[in-house]
Amino acid sequence: MKLSYQKDFILISLLALLSCFSSESLSKNNTSFDLEQEVSQENSKDSSNDLWGDDDWGEESNQSQLWQLSGFAEIGLGQFTQENVTGSNLSLSELRGQLDTKYSGDWFSFNAKGDLLVDEIIEEIDYDIRELNFAINTLDNTDLIIGRQVITWGTGDYLFLNDLFSKDWQSFFAGRDDVYLKAPNDAVRILHYLGDLTLDFVYSPKFTADRFLTGERFSFYSPFQQAIVAPNNFPVVTTESEQYSLRLATTINSVEYAIYGYEGFWTTPVGVYRQAGNFGESYFPKLNSYGASARTPAFGGLFHTEIAVYNSIEDNNGSDPFIANDQIRLLLGFELELASDVIGAFQYYLEHTQNYRALESTASDPARLVDENRQVITFRLTHLSFQQTLTSSLFVFYSPTDQDAFIKPSVTYRYDDNWQFSSGANIFIGEKEYTFFGQHEDNSNIWMRFRYSY
Amino acid sequence: MNRLIKKSMAVLMVPLSFFAHASDLTVDKIISKSNLAAYYTAKDGRAEARMMIVDKNGNKQMRQFTILRQDVEDAGQQNMLVVFSRPTDVKGTVFRVEKHVSQDDNRWLYLPALDLVKRISAGDKRTSFVGSHFYYEDVSGRNPKEDDFELLRETDKSYVIKGIPKDPESVEFSYYQVSVDVDTFIPMEVIYFDNQDKAIRKMTVIKTQKIQGYTTVVHARIEQLGDGSFTEMQFRNIRYDLNLPATVFSERSLRNPPTKWLK
Repeated sequence: MKLSYQKDFILISLLALLSCFSSESLSKNNTSFDLEQEVSQENSKDSSNDLWGDDDWGEESNQSQLWQLSGFAEIGLGQFTQENVTGSNLSLSELRGQLDTKYSGDWFSFNAKGDLLVDEIIEEIDYDIRELNFAINTLDNTDLIIGRQVITWGTGDYLFLNDLFSKDWQSFFAGRDDVYLKAPNDAVRILHYLGDLTLDFVYSPKFTADRFLTGERFSFYSPFQQAIVAPNNFPVVTTESEQYSLRLATTINSVEYAIYGYEGFWTTPVGVYRQAGNFGESYFPKLNSYGASARTPAFGGLFHTEIAVYNSIEDNNGSDPFIANDQIRLLLGFELELASDVIGAFQYYLEHTQNYRALESTASDPARLVDENRQVITFRLTHLSFQQTLTSSLFVFYSPTDQDAFIKPSVTYRYDDNWQFSSGANIFIGEKEYTFFGQHEDNSNIWMRFRYSY
Repeated sequence: MNRLIKKSMAVLMVPLSFFAHASDLTVDKIISKSNLAAYYTAKDGRAEARMMIVDKNGNKQMRQFTILRQDVEDAGQQNMLVVFSRPTDVKGTVFRVEKHVSQDDNRWLYLPALDLVKRISAGDKRTSFVGSHFYYEDVSGRNPKEDDFELLRETDKSYVIKGIPKDPESVEFSYYQVSVDVDTFIPMEVIYFDNQDKAIRKMTVIKTQKIQGYTTVVHARIEQLGDGSFTEMQFRNIRYDLNLPATVFSERSLRNPPTKWLK
């Protein structure tokens, strides 16, 4: 649903959200007032019960045991640090309200989680249903989740190999909460447990693409125009076909092993249509993949590795310059607690493009092609302080082959159980305008968010 | 004659048994009994817990969760599942631990909003448990093999024991002093000292309760003595010997917490 935008909507929505909270807190106060007498009797027995005030383990009534309701409201603001062809200097300007509700029945649960968004950048009021599903979880060896859901697997940190569930790169670049990096999927998920073996199967009746950059919020490099562009209209031919994902996992002697399979499409439009009607438009070519991963404690830290083989089946021999080639993706990572509350993590990522010669011979500008062996090194440093209320984090992607980098510093301060403030930056550095991170240099931005959870 | 012997034996036996009581219990034995009483009660159990974390400025934060525990062997491997219910930003987070004695623990964290199963490096056990003043080690139990012990004194109520870490580099304190209840073997107070003999941290049991015959801590407090910040933890709805199936402590429970045992 997209309503036509008016400036007043922001104000109206803000008021609506605020009134929502005040009535929420009012009703809480009422309930706790009722409970006060009951609790105060206990107080006299226990000297330090003042500490808990009238908190009664958060229980309001039997009804609320079945229905759980929570959520948050958030203001997010961000600004580009340099001129951007998007024409706006805003990278984030939104008011977001989330409502999360769960009904726990005897043999199932119903989960609904949705965001209402007043987005100044796209000048729209929008909603985003993140979860709307039934979960059947009382079967002997099988869990079933049917409906809209967020799904994640694999071992990478901000790097995905066998996880081909949809990502939201716009959110990731804009400094929204990390949670929004994963976009929801409409799917049927079957988790079957056979002894120590987990069989995880996901069927999506309709392909879900990533929320990739379109020019609406961020600019990017166009190989056809050989320039940084931010088109108002980014025509993409969508597909409505099915997607299948499979994971088989087990743990032996503290080592987690998994194998993966996928049949579907590239989740970003890495193909260009050449049929009449949609000529020149981007689309999602077919993709099959398989891979494996392992994760284990080692040398006092955690080691993980993952491999994925991408079969871009519409261009198996790599001769079509308008469709992405086959790839082999490899990941090695190590995480270690460097000191108390300081965690360091390192990853090495390799993206090997297959049939590279064929790609070179047909490419219009071979000099601007991605390296045959694109490599990325990532480094994460996380520091928790002030009783873990302040989280400082630095994440760096650096590619020696592309000679570009993406630096994500952030701080999050949790003032109390309701209020949270975060701020950070997304800094892109690159020598060339056509490399993976380099093309986003003008998208570099700083952001901050205030959140109230209830 | 027989009766006389029996009588005199009985008289002799009383002081002897007293003597035996004190001498039998070496300090290591007390510690081992205390470890069992505090962390290995029954073969399994569940409890609801809540923590109030108060910083030096008086700001409060709360955590509420349900713990399920299963002992694979007494004083040995244990499985734990911690399911958070409050506050909103941690609701649905599940923490799973396979506690080992002779190797590093395995720890996983499930973040529901991302559907992410995160493995956590065993790392430093003396880091805060979810932002509280309780360390991981306070929650899951410090391995008695990490310390050398010395019985300082014995009163009617408690054994007062000094624990000195074998590897001083691995901890933030120089030594600690624990008061173990003579009857229940519950450690009722632990005070940690720095190398200048200054008390820096103190754990106090505020309340215990007998549950299914087992003395159980239902209210405890940890203070950071330097700045006055502290955390209190309370337990309720505690039940033991539930015959929890081993499958409760598996990957499945991260995504699908075992409601049957949590309610």
